[in-house]
This record gives sequence, C-alpha cells and structure tokens, in this order.
Amino acid sequence: MENFFNEIAELLEVDSVTGNEALNSFKCWDSLTILSIIAHADDNYGITLTAAEVNNAKTVNGLKDLFVAKKA
Amino acid sequence: MLTAVLLPYNNQNQYESMYLLISGSTSGIGQYLAVQLSKEYNLILNGRNGEKLSKTLNLCDKGKQHLIWKFDLNNIEHLDSNLTEFLQINNIQVTTFIHCAGFLKMLPLKTMSLNVIQETMNTNFFSSVMIIKTLINKKANDSALQNVVQISSTASIRGAKAFNIYSASKGAMDAMMRSLAVELAPKVRLNSVLPGGVQTQMTDTMFNDSELIEKMSKDYPLGLGFPHDIYEMVNFLISEKSRWITGQQFVVDGGRSINISA
Repeated sequence: MENFFNEIAELLEVDSVTGNEALNSFKCWDSLTILSIIAHADDNYGITLTAAEVNNAKTVNGLKDLFVAKKA
Repeated sequence: MLTAVLLPYNNQNQYESMYLLISGSTSGIGQYLAVQLSKEYNLILNGRNGEKLSKTLNLCDKGKQHLIWKFDLNNIEHLDSNLTEFLQINNIQVTTFIHCAGFLKMLPLKTMSLNVIQETMNTNFFSSVMIIKTLINKKANDSALQNVVQISSTASIRGAKAFNIYSASKGAMDAMMRSLAVELAPKVRLNSVLPGGVQTQMTDTMFNDSELIEKMSKDYPLGLGFPHDIYEMVNFLISEKSRWITGQQFVVDGGRSINISA
C-alpha cells in the first residue's frame, strides 16, 4: 500500500494527495473516475469494490481505509 | 405453376467429420449455445480454462462427438498454427464457426492501457480473423467452412461510457464480416448477432441489483433477455432456413436500442 497515494493521485489527475481531501472536491470526480478506481483495486489489489462503497469513503484516507479493510 | 427448388448454396452435410467450432464456449452465451447445439452437431469447444472446458463438455449431449480445443485467443501469434495442428491431429473439418469469445474491461479512455486495448482487440477481433483465415484454408481445413456467426454487441452500433475499445473491437468484427460475406460468397455465409444485456453467470451479480433490474425493465420494452433468445437467432443463422442471408447484423435486445422514451 506504500504507493497508494501516488496511484490515487494519478487516477484523480493531480500531482499529489495528502489524504485529507474530500473525494468530491477533485475536478475529475465522476462516475468514470469511480470506475477507474474499482478497476485499479481489482487489477492491483485483487479486491472487489462497488461504486457505493467508493462514494461512501468520502476522503482519500477513507478510500485507503476501504482498500485496507477489503484486503484483510 | 412455377416451383422453386431451394437448394442450399453450400453442400451442408458433405463432411461426415463435420464439426462446429465455438470460441469462448465455457461461459455465458457461449456455454449455453454449446449445450443446446451439442444435441445436433459435433462440437469443438474452445476456451482457455481446462477445468471450465471439461465442465462444459460434461453438460453437452453425449449422442454426438465433441472435442476440446484449449487455447487462449489472446495468444494471437500462435493461433493459426495451433488450430491447424489441432484439426490435423484429430483429422476433422470445421464447417461452422460461432465466435462467442469476448473480453470486456469497462474503463474510461483516460485510464485505458495499451495492454487492455490489445487484449480486447486480440480476443474479440483478431482471433476471429485468424480462425476464419485458417478455416477457409485448403490444407488446414479442406476449405470446409460454410457458415460463420459472430456474437457481437449493440455496443458495435451504439455508444456507452467506458465501452470505447470494446465497441471498436465489435465494430471491427462486424465490418470485416460484411466484406468477407462478399469475398467468400457463395461458399461461406457470415452474419453477426448483437445481443443487448443478457442474464448470464458473468452478469449474475449485476442482475442481483434490484435497482438495475428496475432500470432495465424500463429501458427494455420486451423486458430482460436470456441466452436462449440469442440461441434461437444463432440456430436460425446456421441453418439452411437462412440460406439467402449473409453479411447482416441482427440486433436481439428486446427493443432496447430503438427505445427513445425518456
């Protein structure tokens, strides 16, 4: 998970993230970005996420917690 | 009184060792078609997973001869030599090819990688080209091919978010089908079936979503479709009943693509 913030920054089309940002504050936050995150989770972490779960994560840190919880 | 004698344009049943090849036969529409068609035809079941292939073979009718051709169609460079060898070892000819293998990875273009693009085009389009090329070959298949049905998609003629490359692969398949229908006539007939959303094992989780079911029943004037609805069209297209039909796209989607009500 050490590269998680870099990977998420890439998907959110920004240079970097700190973790506290609200997901819906990103300019590119839409259903297609959510789809990209779901695909990334499946390809790189072998976990299955739903759009609702990604939305409910609220922040970048929340998203990381979701990934960790699913991976466990 | 004029009586029309409707002879088939191609001499079906000419080959005793006549086989029908189904790519992507281990799941969804492909598997359903295999089980249904196994009652009437000798089948070659193609797939990449040996376990799933054995499972599909077990579901097939035992009255006919069925063979397994385990090959991952993404391995496009070795496809023609592998299929040629398979046909020679078994000393058989393929008269009918049903292309069901399909790879769909829903991704927006911004996160689409060249690898995914290539795998989609390999499995959905290039494999169909190479299989047809092998089956019209004299040495490999005694030029026995007479009929091709490709399972395309309404994504070939309509658009949807995140279907970009999948749409392109199905569109390429259909465009090739039309030109080959002219190039290979009258010996080979080729057609495409374009299903709408059909309930299969693959989409089971999707269809467990009651919200989606509600949305779909609104979008689909005839309600939800099943693999059997696709089978009926495929069975017609590989039969002599469709002897004067070639180079066409048949939409089987319960009216979804013509529905413009809000």
